[in-house]
Amino acid sequence: MKWVDIVLLALIAGVFVYALIKRVNPYEAFTEGAAEAVPTILRVLPSLGAMLAAISLFRHSGAMDALSGLLAPVLNRIGIPTELVTLTVLRPFSGSASLALLRDTLTTYGADSFVGRAASTLVGSSETIFYTLAVYCGSVGIRKARYAFPVSIICGLFGCIMSILLVKLI
Amino acid sequence: MLGYFFVIMISVGMLFCIMNGTADLALGYMLEGADSALELMLGLGGSYILWLGIMKVAERAGLVTALSRRMEKPLRLLMPNVGSAAAPITLNLAANFFGLGNAATPFGIEAMKELTKNRGERSSIASNDVCMFLALNSSCIQLIPTSVIAIRTACGSSNPSSIILPTLISSILSSILTIILCKLCGRLSHDEMG
Repeated sequence: MKWVDIVLLALIAGVFVYALIKRVNPYEAFTEGAAEAVPTILRVLPSLGAMLAAISLFRHSGAMDALSGLLAPVLNRIGIPTELVTLTVLRPFSGSASLALLRDTLTTYGADSFVGRAASTLVGSSETIFYTLAVYCGSVGIRKARYAFPVSIICGLFGCIMSILLVKLI
Repeated sequence: MLGYFFVIMISVGMLFCIMNGTADLALGYMLEGADSALELMLGLGGSYILWLGIMKVAERAGLVTALSRRMEKPLRLLMPNVGSAAAPITLNLAANFFGLGNAATPFGIEAMKELTKNRGERSSIASNDVCMFLALNSSCIQLIPTSVIAIRTACGSSNPSSIILPTLISSILSSILTIILCKLCGRLSHDEMG
């Protein structure tokens, strides 16, 4: 039990008590909010399903590895060591796959080695961009995300480079 | 843009399957992805019920409006037309920061709804505010990356939490770059409605 957990519970309990004071029926309000859960899931599912199907095919067909190989010289030049190229490329596509690859990397090179610490920092400081965008855009039917996607990818890559630099420095 | 990636990933993936002689497996791979979408959403269903429920209680009690009013001004620096989306955006960023990933997504979806509700016909095009919100969520600032630390512990690290500081600094730096690039792109795209 950490202080964060206590604060969180206190906040939620506070919301319920405050609702009672305001003469709102918390149970009724809760169920009304919860009723939105299934429609929300149904709205997100098509775009997420499409995206994950494409990503799964891309990964398992070997195309992802080919992409890593193709990008390796470029990524090496901007400061990403060869051991971390695949992780950098995979990170925006799949959260679970990058956590699995992180585990492999830590077992191979050691969790406290430079590569191990850099890999951990890289995974921890970045997000599964394809998933995030598919869910959020899908939830409200946005078809044109304009510059959100390129900016996310560029900043994600920047975060990877920074992670490696910072681990070197700290 | 995401649409192009979708087509590229599928066609290149299929090409590789044919070249590698695994054409018979391609549909299975796609099915695996689609299955995992369903599993993910079913797995998240409970937390959607929980957090959307709590959020509605807070809304009825007037707490969401109060939070929106308080957070609107600071958030307007990032998203000029933030309006009533300020509360869910605050909750989303806070949930991400404290590592409550399950709560962050329902709050984020509420935020997207609020951000797009007044856009009428143009609701299928992301406004500048929406782009900022999406891009910020793609460079998540997290205080303690719990899943990574758990893996480090499992892999026998003698100091699993040594990565907290570099992780935090790195994600703050990339968030700053996100804000700068979004503001720049928003200005260059000449779209006042955003």
